[in-house]
Amino acid sequence: MKGLAPRTDPPLDEAALVARITAREEAALRAAIDAYAGVLHRVVYRMMGDAHEAEDIAQEAMLRLWDNAEKLSARNPSEIKLAAWLKRVAINLAYDRLRLLGRMSDADVPERADEDKLADAKIEENEEHAAARALIAALPDRQRAAIILTYYEELPNAEAADVLDMQLKAFESLLFRARAALRKAFQAQTAEGGVT
Amino acid sequence: MSERDPSTDPIGRGSDGDAALTRVLDAYRAPELSAGFADRVLASTADRAAPLPSARPAQQGRWRSARRLVIGAAAFGALATTAAATGLLDDLPIDLPSGEQVWATITGNPTPQAAPPPQRAAPAAIPPTVPMAERTIEGPIDSPEELEEAFKQIDERRSNRRETRQSNVDNRIDRMIERRRNEGRPVPSAEREERMKERLERARSRREENQTQRLEERRDALRERVEQGEELSPEDILREEREALGVDRLRGRRDELRSLSPEERRERLKQFRERRQERREQRLNDPQNEADAAPNAQELDEPAALENELSEPAPPDSPTEIF
Repeated sequence: MKGLAPRTDPPLDEAALVARITAREEAALRAAIDAYAGVLHRVVYRMMGDAHEAEDIAQEAMLRLWDNAEKLSARNPSEIKLAAWLKRVAINLAYDRLRLLGRMSDADVPERADEDKLADAKIEENEEHAAARALIAALPDRQRAAIILTYYEELPNAEAADVLDMQLKAFESLLFRARAALRKAFQAQTAEGGVT
Repeated sequence: MSERDPSTDPIGRGSDGDAALTRVLDAYRAPELSAGFADRVLASTADRAAPLPSARPAQQGRWRSARRLVIGAAAFGALATTAAATGLLDDLPIDLPSGEQVWATITGNPTPQAAPPPQRAAPAAIPPTVPMAERTIEGPIDSPEELEEAFKQIDERRSNRRETRQSNVDNRIDRMIERRRNEGRPVPSAEREERMKERLERARSRREENQTQRLEERRDALRERVEQGEELSPEDILREEREALGVDRLRGRRDELRSLSPEERRERLKQFRERRQERREQRLNDPQNEADAAPNAQELDEPAALENELSEPAPPDSPTEIF
């Protein structure tokens, strides 16, 4: 399913890739973009509900990798978890952007997102899509990130906790609350008449 | 064990309870990245500013700040202590309270004053070189009050000069004795030195009594002139004073000696030594006068004293004294 299939990070040698990026090898950065930009875009899109914002943040996250590759490569190679690092950067950027815009993801998608995105327009027309976006957007930022990482990206709890820079127990507690809130919101949505 | 909450279970796509929920959630699809995304990212790396250096850990920063504060306080204390020790603060127009004053402001009780430090032995009195404040006498002296004021000022000046001369004579005697000791020549014992100084003092007192007597005679004459309405100038008074003390006579002798040729000056020296020897013999023949005879510097170091005698003539009874 487009944009929904289970994602597993490509079996890249992340330490070697970071080392090549540190050496300012553009091919290495391109390889990283091919491997990780898609997941970053998906995560941020579901966090913000805005394809343009998601692409901007994904681009910024990849550039952060370009900027900080030297510091990353200084770590022990076994400690270099590039995929988790990029997701953390992207989610933190999304938090910042949400706070900056003062915008909740259940708000209307900006008009410019609909101007030239035929696929988006079609998706927006789908009632289930809108209902799902409303359910996700109703969650607090951290619960939203927990659901996106575990449900949509199918990350194990430990990895998701690592992305959010949380202890596993704390993340599981967060995830429990997120599931409960999501089910409650869905029940309320259903009671009001189904998907909108 | 708490009861299991089914609402916190994982949202399973295959479970019956979550089928409706997962169907809705799965409808939230994300669009694909736009075409050329990778190219745009790579193009953005060209004008990417260099990353900022990583921030220092907060805890280390706090310690560094605390260390700087401590070092700064210690340096300030050292500088302040140095400035106080060198007396720099005394030169600045800063009123610094003493420790006792600070303590008194804190406690409200003034601390008892510490015993004054023992005073050092006063150094040898130095004759004043600056004349004391004098009352100005304007115009001619035509009243007894002005005349007495003039006498008073003259006496003060003479007293100062007398002390200076006395100190100079004592120093000269000490230098002579020291020089003789260094040259291996016999020097007077402490008792003899004390006795000589006592004789000098007696001779000096006797000379001053004679001078005072002559001065008073001249001054009485001046007082009579003022009482008769005569106006006196300062020069009139000083001339009378100099004549009473024989100053002009001594200066005349000095000028006369300085105008002589070396041969004539040696002849005068020879005559002076003969007269001095005659006086010594007279004192030896008359023990009664011996006690009052004042030894002079020539007896300790004749050539040096004679040199002074030639350059600074003095009254016959004390060649080293100069008015």
